[in-house]
Amino acid sequence: MLAYIIRRLINAVVTLIVVTFVTFCVFFLVPKLTGSDPALLYVGKQADPVALAGIREKFGFNDPLIVQYGKFLKGIVAGRDYVTGADVTHCSAPCLGYSFKNSQEVWPLLIHALPVTFSLALGAAVLWVLMGVFFGVVSALRRGSIWDRSAMTVALAGVSLPIYFTGLLSLSIFVYWLGFANPGYTPFFDNPWQWFTGLLLPWITLAFLFAATYARLTRANMLETLGEDYIRTARAKGLRERTVIGKHGLRSGLTPLVTVFGLDLGALLGGAILTEAVYNLRGLGYFALNSIRSSDLPIILGVTLFAAGFIVIMNLIVDLLYGVIDPRVRLG
Amino acid sequence: MAGKTKVMVAGAAALTLGLTAACGGGSDKNSSTTTNGGSTSTFNASTTQIVNPSDKTGGTLNLWSPQAPDSLDPAIAYYAWTINFSRLYSRTLMTYAPKPGKDGLTLVPDLAQAAPTISADGKTYTYKLKSGVKFDDGSVITSKDIKYGIERTFAQDVLPNGPLYAIQDLDQGQHYPGPYKDKDPNKMGLKTVETPDDSTIIFHLAKPNANFPYEITMPIGAPVPQKRDTGEKYALAPASSGPYKFESINPDTGATLVKNPNWDPSTDSVRKQLPDKIVLTVTTNADDMDARLIAGTADLDASQSGVSTQARTQILTNDKLKANAANPNNGFIRYAALAQTVAPLDNVDCRKAIIYASDPTTLQTARGGPIAGGDIATNMLPPNILGSDVKYDPYNRAQGKPQLDLAKQELQKCGHPNGFSTTIAVRNNKPAEIATATALQAALKPAGINASIFQYDGKLIGSIAGSPATVKAKNLGIIIAGWGADFATGYGYLAPIAMGSFIAQSGNFNFPEINDPAINAAFTKGLSEQDPAAAAQDYANANHLVMEGAYYLPFVFDKALNYYNPRLTNVYFNQALAMVDFSQLGVSDGK
Amino acid sequence: MSLGPEASISDEITTPTDDAAVERNAGETAIAGRSLKQIAWRRLKKDRVAVGGGIVIIVLIVMAILAPLLIKLLGHPYDEYHNDAIDPTLGLPKGSLGGISKEFILGVEPVNGRDIFSRIVYGAQTTLTVAFLSAFLSTILGVLFGMTAGFVGGWVDSIISRIMDFLLAFPQLLFSIALVSVLPPTSFGLGPRWSRVVVLVIVIGFFGWPYIGRIVRGQTLSLREREFVEASRSLGARSPRILFREMLPNLAAPILVYTTLIIPTNILTEAALSFLGVGIPPPYPSWGGMLSDAVATYRYDAMFMIIPGAMIFITVLAFNLFGDGLRDALDPKAH
Repeated sequence: MLAYIIRRLINAVVTLIVVTFVTFCVFFLVPKLTGSDPALLYVGKQADPVALAGIREKFGFNDPLIVQYGKFLKGIVAGRDYVTGADVTHCSAPCLGYSFKNSQEVWPLLIHALPVTFSLALGAAVLWVLMGVFFGVVSALRRGSIWDRSAMTVALAGVSLPIYFTGLLSLSIFVYWLGFANPGYTPFFDNPWQWFTGLLLPWITLAFLFAATYARLTRANMLETLGEDYIRTARAKGLRERTVIGKHGLRSGLTPLVTVFGLDLGALLGGAILTEAVYNLRGLGYFALNSIRSSDLPIILGVTLFAAGFIVIMNLIVDLLYGVIDPRVRLG
Repeated sequence: MAGKTKVMVAGAAALTLGLTAACGGGSDKNSSTTTNGGSTSTFNASTTQIVNPSDKTGGTLNLWSPQAPDSLDPAIAYYAWTINFSRLYSRTLMTYAPKPGKDGLTLVPDLAQAAPTISADGKTYTYKLKSGVKFDDGSVITSKDIKYGIERTFAQDVLPNGPLYAIQDLDQGQHYPGPYKDKDPNKMGLKTVETPDDSTIIFHLAKPNANFPYEITMPIGAPVPQKRDTGEKYALAPASSGPYKFESINPDTGATLVKNPNWDPSTDSVRKQLPDKIVLTVTTNADDMDARLIAGTADLDASQSGVSTQARTQILTNDKLKANAANPNNGFIRYAALAQTVAPLDNVDCRKAIIYASDPTTLQTARGGPIAGGDIATNMLPPNILGSDVKYDPYNRAQGKPQLDLAKQELQKCGHPNGFSTTIAVRNNKPAEIATATALQAALKPAGINASIFQYDGKLIGSIAGSPATVKAKNLGIIIAGWGADFATGYGYLAPIAMGSFIAQSGNFNFPEINDPAINAAFTKGLSEQDPAAAAQDYANANHLVMEGAYYLPFVFDKALNYYNPRLTNVYFNQALAMVDFSQLGVSDGK
Repeated sequence: MSLGPEASISDEITTPTDDAAVERNAGETAIAGRSLKQIAWRRLKKDRVAVGGGIVIIVLIVMAILAPLLIKLLGHPYDEYHNDAIDPTLGLPKGSLGGISKEFILGVEPVNGRDIFSRIVYGAQTTLTVAFLSAFLSTILGVLFGMTAGFVGGWVDSIISRIMDFLLAFPQLLFSIALVSVLPPTSFGLGPRWSRVVVLVIVIGFFGWPYIGRIVRGQTLSLREREFVEASRSLGARSPRILFREMLPNLAAPILVYTTLIIPTNILTEAALSFLGVGIPPPYPSWGGMLSDAVATYRYDAMFMIIPGAMIFITVLAFNLFGDGLRDALDPKAH
């Protein structure tokens, strides 16, 4: 078990390092290849030569790529200083870079955006798992019934609807037609009720999309499980149907969902870009999009790393969880 | 480009102009009959009078903005609205009079006791400071604090993107590196600014510049106490000399200001200190902000950039809402520059063909229509500038239709009877500019002019559209842009975009690269005129020459439809700030 | 599910990597041999829902191909302005329902009065081109790498598998937006419209291949051990021959199914990128771009939002229905 965990951990770290390297290369090479100067992005409209030289020196744009990357990694571990002459800007560990545009370190900016994305993703996750599993299980148990068919039709429609369309639809219906307040984020500890009401619409919209997928997935898995020998055996033993379904069917029927759930949640935690864009929620995704529009490279790099980090961590958790919940998996 | 980053600053002439009746439009002094709290305002009332005048104190002023401030650091603040906002916490030697109409263009003493004494050669400006004016921490504001603030703007490596006027005026070849690299132990190494005592400051300009007092009325002229300067982090906790001081700042989400107990109203004849608190909320949701404005939970859009499309429909179709809205001219012209260096636009007739083929109405609609976008522009001097004449319409644009016949004739003359191909360059972060680019593209097609659209990162304007070499290399024949004057004179508006000496290798705004001796001479002559009316005539001439050369295709004289909460008091449009003056606002219900 | 960002990243496409199912499936495929095609075709024909999806797809494809003709008959050039159809003050279409009339059968766009019908039809062109070509690219890469990994095994397999894992752990949508937004607007000697199409195809196709690759790898692994492969190997056949002559035909069914199922995801991704402003540049139409334009006016002109949204929905649904039907038809286990 311990060896397995260690192996997985090393894997995760290696993946993250590769992600940083690839992202770093792309975002620092592309401007070079297309002939634009990253320092220009910092200084903006006036492009004063003195300012440009200062920025280049301060942020090390003159260094070779590998040196820049090395400094970046060092910054994550130990923090770093940006220096021009007597002007020193310290960026404490974990330093994901420095957003010149905001005169701020990237890490705290991201941490600041995190609660929004967390609230959005976790709230939606609770909803979609409940909805998806419920409809999936019921459909599987009543296979072929009108209930099954209509649930699956809605689910298929659900996976075919883009959130940037359902989002706008939900806004026109609930906010502009029925007069509910515009969705928005209030920190939970400021006002739990406002936190809840402000996020309800985004939750439902986002959850609808995922619930559709999960219902389809649950149904398929349940059907497969219910056909397995051990379920037949359990039934033959004369166990009550509820016990058969609840104890044996659900457990192995839902196990594969854990993998999917882990990946989905991991991806969402790194920024639900579209949902945040539609509802104007200031989470990681919104932040990333904004930075892309204003070419704030350090922030883009930071968000990408953050997002990859969540996916990797969720993968790790899923792998470890598997050992606990799935009796068929042995960790070696 | 100007965009939102340039601010309207009254020109030298305005100092006298405001006091003469010569300026047409004039100053409406008809005092409003509206009573405190009552909302008997009418559409555009705030452009000519003070709406809801009142001295009622208390309550919270809720300013919202869909755009974060560029910086709260006085050395960097350059958005028109952050300059306006900075007046809440920063005082300057002189500042604009809090009056509607042209009177608002005049400078009145602020930290200074009186207007400066100017040497005979026009190169030395001496100001005397009022005594007993304090920062929010109680320390006295001295001439050295003002000098230090000016010095900071020289540190372009640490504090870039602010106005460069101080450097242009005060650098006499010494290349002062800014206080952070200053070898002087007191960081007072800028020799062209003298502070013989704590209440006197003397500026030695490189050459005479009558605009200087206006330039240092921008926040770059605000005092900064050296002991509180934290370099680029100063924007997170700027010192206050005005009626309000910061309680908290988050550059992305806003700021809270509270009354500054060390501000003494007896030293400040301009500002008011009515609300207990001023909260600036930066939102990402412009629709939500508009909904709040209309619902009354937000008081004013601090960016004053105009309500979004949906709210515009709501306001214009509801008379009650419309009464609390205004769409004054904000001094901008939106236009397309036709680059002379890019063939076949080196030929004046080819440029004229573009002007005639364009559809004034689709361009106006793309900008937002007559109310929210502006009036169809006929020439290159906006109506708030002396010497302008909106009736001067050499290309007959005001009638609103494309003139394909004339366009074809011009094409014939320029040797491309079947049209030609060119490129429209447009910033990718300005939806309305992209809309005008596609409208222009569609209008040129029937004339046989095939324009492809080149979108570029708006932040790089200085090195793309602003670089003559790039314009030529990429064949950017048509450049979509907008310009607001730094000085409300013909020179301040037109010279940077039409005078040869303003052509720069990067950060150029004279996109067509106009370097016509006749135009240059008109500007030079205007600068030397003592009589503003005569100068205005010179600038009008320059405008005529620019239009005859077909260097610019003007779209609209820009307007923005803004709404304000009826509970606001002392609402008026200041022409120098080009928006509602924040420093006068109060709330009538005390909440 | 490729870039399908805020769509579950692992829809049914990834589940069949469950090895037991794969082996059984593959076995039956192999045994069924030639007759499988006929059986599947017969099944598919009976599946009315799938046939419906297929018909919609065909209609859409015909519409995209005949776009210039359709517009001559029923519309106006997609970039032609119609200011007379617009209320100048508000910028909204005159008339109800977004200006739907005999002249403009789907109404006009706010602000500029362009014909929505024409823009939808031309949008179909871009959308379908991007979706098909990127699915094609994903399939080629996925088959190539998946088969190599499964067949060669050893360190080659570990490297390819690691790369696939890595790509799946990558914040793809974010990365694509950032990448596409820094690329120059024209390249490959094409105009702005088609060069962006190429970029989208490459980006979407590239991030989609691991999904196909994983499945192909799994199938190849199990096929490798089967008798007919052993047999041809013992007869002295060389690896390429075994790969392409013996194994590829047996992989055709799952490849076809997953290629079909990746198309709707690609449509959603293309629309998402256009919605976020990094897709097809104006004035060229795209459904996602239209939706994003509609954000400014949808309260007062809902039709401009509903029409492109509905088109995306219908198209994606049709592909999903058809793909589901195809999978059921090719996979006897599901019946």
